[in-house]
Parts: sequence; C-alpha cells; structure tokens
Amino acid sequence: MLKIVPEFLKAIRPEFRNHKKNFHQDAYYTFTNYRYLWVIGIFILAVTALSPLFMATLTYHQLIETSVDSDLNHRTKQLTDAAKSAVTFFMEERLNALTFTVNENGYDQLTDNARLTEILKNLKLGFGGVTDLSVLDADGNQVAYAGPFNLEGKNYKNQSWFEQSIKKMNFISEVFTGYRGVPHIIITVRSAKSDGSFFILRATLDTERLMKTLSSYKTGAYADIFLVNREGILQTPSMHYGAIFTPTNLIFPANSYETDVNTMTFNGISIISGHSLILRDMVTTPFTLMVLKEKAGMLQFWMDMRSKFNRIISASVIIIIIVITFASTFMVNKLYRADKAKAETMMQMEQTQQLASIGQLAAGVAHEINNPLAVINQTAGYMKDLFSFKDQTQNTDELIEYIDSILDAVDRCGTITRQLLGFVKQFDVKIKNVNLQKLISQVLSFHRKEAEYRQINVTVSIPDIFPELETDSSKLQQILVNLVNNAFQAVEEGNSLDIVARQVDTNTIELVIHDTGCGIPEENLKKIHEPFFSTKKDKSGTGLGLSITYSLIKKLGGRISVQSTEGVGTSFTIILPVKIKEGRIA
Amino acid sequence: MKILLVDDEQKFVNMLAKRMALRGIEADVAYTGEEAIKKAEKTIYDVAVLDIKMPGISGIQLKEKLSPLHANLKFIFVTGHGAIEKLEDEDSGAEKDIYISKPLNIEFLIETIEDLIQAG
Repeated sequence: MLKIVPEFLKAIRPEFRNHKKNFHQDAYYTFTNYRYLWVIGIFILAVTALSPLFMATLTYHQLIETSVDSDLNHRTKQLTDAAKSAVTFFMEERLNALTFTVNENGYDQLTDNARLTEILKNLKLGFGGVTDLSVLDADGNQVAYAGPFNLEGKNYKNQSWFEQSIKKMNFISEVFTGYRGVPHIIITVRSAKSDGSFFILRATLDTERLMKTLSSYKTGAYADIFLVNREGILQTPSMHYGAIFTPTNLIFPANSYETDVNTMTFNGISIISGHSLILRDMVTTPFTLMVLKEKAGMLQFWMDMRSKFNRIISASVIIIIIVITFASTFMVNKLYRADKAKAETMMQMEQTQQLASIGQLAAGVAHEINNPLAVINQTAGYMKDLFSFKDQTQNTDELIEYIDSILDAVDRCGTITRQLLGFVKQFDVKIKNVNLQKLISQVLSFHRKEAEYRQINVTVSIPDIFPELETDSSKLQQILVNLVNNAFQAVEEGNSLDIVARQVDTNTIELVIHDTGCGIPEENLKKIHEPFFSTKKDKSGTGLGLSITYSLIKKLGGRISVQSTEGVGTSFTIILPVKIKEGRIA
Repeated sequence: MKILLVDDEQKFVNMLAKRMALRGIEADVAYTGEEAIKKAEKTIYDVAVLDIKMPGISGIQLKEKLSPLHANLKFIFVTGHGAIEKLEDEDSGAEKDIYISKPLNIEFLIETIEDLIQAG
C-alpha cells in the first residue's frame, strides 16, 4: 500500500519538472513551456469532461428544487384547506346546534334552568366541547344559566362580546379567559321574543376540543398549526411561534378568505406558510388559520439526497481530475521525451556537423597542399635529373633557385597547415575576444582557391572601427563556415559573395552574407531552418546545416533572418550581441 | 611526339617540361586555358596533360575546346583533388579519360603518354 503512493505521484508528476537546464541542449527543444502545455492540457480536458457533469448537476438540482417547492406548496395548501374545513365545521356545527336549540325551545323554555341544564347535557352528548349555556336579555342580564360555574344573575352589558352579539344574529368571539380564567370561545345566537324585544342564547366552548382538532392535522415536528386573530395575537398555542395570547412575530400575511401559500423567513429559517381567514357564511370569525412548515425540515429528505448526490459528484470530479492529470502527464511526458531525444540528437548532430564541415574543408585543404607538393616533387625530381642525366652540378645558381622554389612550396604547405590548425584550435568552447575580420578571412581562406577557379568575386566589408566580439568563437566560426559553405554551393561562375558587417548599437552588430547565387524558392524559405530539410537530392546534405546554424545563433543570443529571390540571390542577416550574456556557456 | 602541359601552377609545369626534355620528350607549357588554345591552334600535339582546376577555363572545359582542333589529340587529366574514382565513374563515354593525381611520378606519366599514343 505504501508503495502505491510514490508510484501514483510519479504517474501524476510530469517529467519536465525534473528538467535540468542545459543551455546548449535547450536551444534544440521544440516546446519551451512544458508547464503551460501540461496545465492547458489539464484545463481543456477538465472543461470538456466536467462541464456536462456540472450542467447536469445544476439542472438536476434546479429541477428537484422546483418540483420539491411546488410539491411542498401543494401539500401545505391541502393541509391548510383540510384544517380550515375542520375548524369551520367545528364552529358551524355548534352554531347550528345553538340556533336549533333557540328555535326549538323558545324563550320561555330556555329560561327554565332545569330545561337549560337538560339542553346542555344533550349538547355535551351530541357535540361535546360546550361548557355552559346561558340566556341573556337585551340589557345583558343573565336570565338563566346552566353549567359548572356559579354565574347566575351576572350582567354582561358592558362586555365587548355582548355589545357585538346584540348587533348580529350570530356571533363568535375571540378566545379569551374572562371571569373563569380558562381560555374559551363564546358563541351567541340572537332571537326575537314574542313582545318584540330579543334575547340571546350564549354557549361557551371549551378551546381544548378546538386545539385537539387542530393538532390532529399536524404532520411531523416541522409543522405548526394555530389560529391568530386579526391583530396577530395567538388564539391557540403554537410550538415555535409563541404562546397563546402573545403576538406572533410573523410578518402577517394579507388577509384572504382563500387559502394562500407563500414562503417567508422567520428568524433566518425559511418557512412555507399557508393561511386563510376562517369564514362562515352566517358569521365572520376573528380567526385566521395559520399552517407553518419549516422548509428545511420538510426538505430534509431532499437535502440528504442532495448532499449524498453532491458527495458522489465531488468524488467523481476528483477521480476525473486525477485521471485527466494522469492523461495530461502521460501525453506531455511522451512529448517531452520525444523532444528531449530530439534535442539530444540535435546536440550530437551539432558536433557531427561541426566535424563534417571541417571534413569538407579538409578535402579542399588537401587539394591546396597537393599543388605545392607537386611543385616540390617535380623540382626535387628535376634536381635529381640534373645529376643523373647530365653532370650539371657546377651550376649552383640554378640549383639554389630550385631549392628556393622547394622551400617556397614548403612554406605554402606550412601556411595551409597552420591555417587548418588555427581553425581547429577554435574548437574549444570558451568565450574569448574575437576579431570578426580575422575570423571571416580565416574561414574564407579555405575557399580562396575555389573562388579563384570558379571566378567568384568575394568581398568583405567591415568598418575600420569595429568592436571585438566577446563571444563563443567556436560557435561563431561554425556559423560562418556553414553560411559560407552554403553560399559557395549556391553560387555559380561569375557570381559574387559579399560579407558586410556593421555595428548597429553599442551592443549589437549586424552581419550580412549575401550571394548572387541561385536563391531559395519561396516555398522552401520557411522550411530551410527545419531539421532534415534538404534540397540536395544527391543526398550529399544532411539537412541539418542551417538548422544547426539557427540554433547556434540563438545560443549566442542572436537571431538570423533570410531574404531570398529565386535566381537573384540570397541574404542571410545575422544580428549578434557584441558581448554574450553570462551563463550562455556550458 | 609533342606534348602540351597546361597548369596554373607555373613552377610545376615548367619543371615537368624540363624533365620531359631531359627524357627526350618535347613538351610545351601553358599556364591558362586560353594560352593552351592559342598554342594548340599553331602546333599539333599528340597528348595534352591538363590540370582540372584552373582559374577561368577548367581542364574539363579545355578538353571540349581542344578536341575539335585535333581529332587525334589524347588527354590526360591531372588533379590535386583525391577523388579520381568519382570523376572516372561520371565519364560514361566510350573513350575513358585518364586521371593522374598530384603529386605525380614523371616515369608513370611518360609511360601513360606512351601507352596512349601506341593505343592510338
């Protein structure tokens, strides 16, 4: 198990992180910013893989939320409607019973206490919840009473419920405690007496029964059902929104006789509320039914499912990102390895090419040496002839002339070998002061004879005041050898090769190698610095010369551009710093 | 037997001519292609020994110009360049040119000349 972790990290961690800076080799890398490639690879793959997932998740959540919301609203409305029916029915039933009682018995019978007690007993049996009954005359005097309290003879004229009940046929009061100290509701029915005045039958309803009815509609711990009056005072106890007779802190919804469902926030908790005024056709009640559900509580199931879903999604995202990183690392590694192998090969090719260009020069040099050798051979041969064919030993002047001629030829050979040695010596890689004029003529010296034979006009133009370059002379030399060799291959008899140098500014020089040779076709111009691009169909070229030359110039901190017109000529323009930057050397 | 020696290396041809003279061979020298043509117009030579690499007219070009002047003129090429085999391969004509590399042995050169003339 412990072994897996480093293996895993190795698979994720791209190899380019271990890249050791090697200035000479780095110039041959096709891609320089592997970190960028890696990151972009991960990014593109991640966007491609994850965006559909995110979209789907988002849509899913939205759909669920919408459907859950509407489901919740619907259920709340249903519950409110059901509770409303029950409360309405509760009130209606009792009011109807009272109306029936009044109409059936009339004033005379009702004021008979025994009869009233009998009626109360029957009402309790039939409906329950009726605590007591009393008959009041128009002045508020209690004419008859049946019930557990001793309230006979009391006058209610100044009670607000009495004032309201004489105005209407039916009346239902708010919940109040009154004389008894127990919450109750008063229901009254007004009826005419035979003498033209009226009396009132009052029943007191026990709220216990109403509360029971309400609580039977409660579903779960997150729902609350209660009644409030028009002022927002609780008429029945609530679980979360205050005790009985205290004001609710809810923002009171607009009164409506239709069941209304909306969402609100209470103490930072999102709740769904259903509410409706309790209306009876015969009478207006002061009650508003409130059904409140904590959304979070109701949504618990969905919330749980969502968090589970989110955990699965998160895990998938992590896995996808790991896989993507792995894929990106894998691909970038392949690319990096290929690039590295290419850079290493190019590095070797650079050395091979250096040797090849020297070999090319050596062939020319051998020819150069063969000529004076031939002179020495024939002169020495002739001197020998002088001795063997005729005795001309006395003619010392002539002999000395021949010996001088031999020495002369030996000198020529010596000059050539010294040139070659001087040239080869430049191979050590180090920064030194380079006289460009000298270096150019050194390179050209190997082509002097060829230029002569082919009648190629070679000119070098360097200003008298020209800075000594502080650069890697071996590289500069190879650049010049490559470009001059190229030019000599491009030119024909009678063409010219011009090398012009000038100082651009204090730290920049420009070197133009211009030939009036065959030129480079436009379609090849972009490809000439690519490795292995060659137009030499006889396979004499490796296609690496210019590619390596470009890299070498880059290593010297310079740049090269080429202008060419087919059949007119080619100009290679090199911009080089006078002083190479520190660290640009292996 | 009359030989024409053409080479821009003046001391080389001069010495060669002198040594041939000692061996009883009459040899004229020319330092350039133009000079060679002038001499060939006046004199009939049996064999022309030409240096391949010369400024101006090269040895190969010179052969093209000299051949029409004398139908029987034979050619020997001399070169400081080592790659003789290659040049021989390139010449696919019925009559193969003879190449000798520098520095050369005079006895070998004379033998070659004599062989050429005899072959005829």
